[in-house]
Amino acid sequence: MQKLYINPLPVRIWHWTNAFGFVLLIATGLQIRYLDLIQLVSFRTAVVAHNWIGFVLIANFFVWLSFYLFTDKIKVYHPELSPMKYFRASFRQMQFYGYGIFKGDPNPHHPSAYRKFNALQSMMYQIIMMLLVPLQFFTGVLLWDVSRFSAMVEMFGGVRVVDTVHVLLFILFSGFIIVHVYLASLGHTPSAHFKAMITGYEEIEDEPKHGTSS
Amino acid sequence: MNALCTLTGRLLPTRPKSLVLLGLFALVFSVAGTQAHAEGSELAKEELACLSCHDKVGPGKTLESGEILSLAISTKAYVESMHKETSCEDCHSDIDAKTHGKKITPIKSKRDFTLSMRESCRACHKKNFTQYEDSVHAALIKDGSKEAPLCSDCHNPHTVRSTKTVEPITATPCANCHENIFKAYAKDVHGLARIANGKTAPLCADCHKAHNVQAASLGSGIKDACLSCHENAVGQHKDWLPNASRHFEAISCPVCHAPTAQRRVNLRLYDNVAMKQISEKAGVPQFEKRTQAADTKDLGLNERALWSLLKEFNQDGGEGKTVLRGRLEVLSGVDAHQLSEKSKAVRDCKTCHQKGAEPFQSVTLTIAGPDGRPIRHGVQQEVLTSLLATESVRGFYAIGSTRIKLLDTLLIMVMLGAVSVPIGHMTIKRLFKSVREKLAAERIAARSGTDDQDSADHRRTDDDASK
Repeated sequence: MQKLYINPLPVRIWHWTNAFGFVLLIATGLQIRYLDLIQLVSFRTAVVAHNWIGFVLIANFFVWLSFYLFTDKIKVYHPELSPMKYFRASFRQMQFYGYGIFKGDPNPHHPSAYRKFNALQSMMYQIIMMLLVPLQFFTGVLLWDVSRFSAMVEMFGGVRVVDTVHVLLFILFSGFIIVHVYLASLGHTPSAHFKAMITGYEEIEDEPKHGTSS
Repeated sequence: MNALCTLTGRLLPTRPKSLVLLGLFALVFSVAGTQAHAEGSELAKEELACLSCHDKVGPGKTLESGEILSLAISTKAYVESMHKETSCEDCHSDIDAKTHGKKITPIKSKRDFTLSMRESCRACHKKNFTQYEDSVHAALIKDGSKEAPLCSDCHNPHTVRSTKTVEPITATPCANCHENIFKAYAKDVHGLARIANGKTAPLCADCHKAHNVQAASLGSGIKDACLSCHENAVGQHKDWLPNASRHFEAISCPVCHAPTAQRRVNLRLYDNVAMKQISEKAGVPQFEKRTQAADTKDLGLNERALWSLLKEFNQDGGEGKTVLRGRLEVLSGVDAHQLSEKSKAVRDCKTCHQKGAEPFQSVTLTIAGPDGRPIRHGVQQEVLTSLLATESVRGFYAIGSTRIKLLDTLLIMVMLGAVSVPIGHMTIKRLFKSVREKLAAERIAARSGTDDQDSADHRRTDDDASK
């Protein structure tokens, strides 16, 4: 069993801040939207907390962005430029999660410090981190003070449209977090990936000659 | 006439007709004017002459309409009035001293007489009159209203007092027409303060303006009036109310400050280019025609009808010109005048921000009529929660209460999917456990077989080498 340092400290700080922040945003967001069903705290407290957590996560996003922009670790997000290679890798990964994993086939992706994401993760995280998360923050800031940003709100189609985009992304992220936690449990042990995001070290199983069981 | 008013009527003897009047009234005055003279010692002889007859409660003048026009003028009240330095003739210049009281001048009705006297007011009160002409009252008169007030309906010309004089609120002329609203006002926080403290609290004209009075639901005039006294209101709300500025834009003050009031959503047709509320052109009643065509069963406009209607209005001026601006307001003028003390104002966000909240159960579409008063048509409440109306009511959204229903369904489906996919995956994984173990055993066996073969090969190679 080898140990590979693939999650540097800034990434781990960003990740867990983001994770807890998103859970709190979802919880307060649910309370704000469904006050008739959930009343853990007052509406006002939920709104104020939602705003503050939102701003913390925006700052946290820039921690993530700065780390990757100013270090060579940005390579983990470099896209695969060959479509054939990319689709083949994606197909293999989907085949693994949808079939191979049940038979005990080995994970086709072998992580390294500069290639820690499999093909599916690579695409998904680029979309999430470079498009969806910034869009969620942007719509959140517009909704935080609708009057201050009224011209921009109007440009995007009005407060109802901005809110609808914000809620659609909230729904997507809520679903994503559940699936993300499950997928994180599919390491060589259920806790392997969680430990890696705490210690920074991913345990890599020794390569068997003809595959391994899981 | 105008000059006379400016000079308070003291130069009358320069006019020949006045000299005749003077002579006539001097005679009458010397005989019958003793009481009027005692009370009106500050008045000129001409006025005293008039009052010597008119300061009596007589039978009045019977008009063609059958109404009785009182001719009585109290000298005492006149002396105390703002017009005490205005001569009678300044306003009643049409009276011919020779025939006055002898020949009957026909007058159709009180309203006709009041209308005919308006020009007298304009001569001196130009500014106020011009403002009045822009008012909803003047617009109603132009539209043929027989009830809308004329100058003397609010300001009795023979008793009119200075606005600096604090009169009991019961003397407020607005109450003559707006009785129910005035009764509500008299019991609300402003009315009670006015009774107790006088001018420190607002009376009708302080918020609605005396002459340039506009329809209360038009624009943001009333809100500006509130903020002109409650200067720190925006700042004070910002201390505790998230998105306070937005609340100020989209909610009228009484919605929260008249906690017993009934509320509704008012979707105003708004010109997004000119940045003002759209008004119906006089003589071109498009709004009613279009809303009735879009809502033939009179059930209220649904999301499709609303969308079509907006499209029709946009055909007049270009895409995106006409939009809807939603606003939460109270249902009636009476509701708007039930303002409570600050401590009793609505502060609980639940009042509005939850499904089924009362203010969102009634929705109306509004255009400003030619006179400024709103013309309304009902809108189905479901419009506020419909995805199809996202574009139509894009500028109005209240978290929780006007949330789009389809997004709730989507959330449930995504959550069910997000939970069931891992559960399903785990279940299949568990079901395949024996297959996995069998395959793993085969792999180990195959590997050990390969290892044995490798070992045998190695041994053979070693033996060959030793030979």
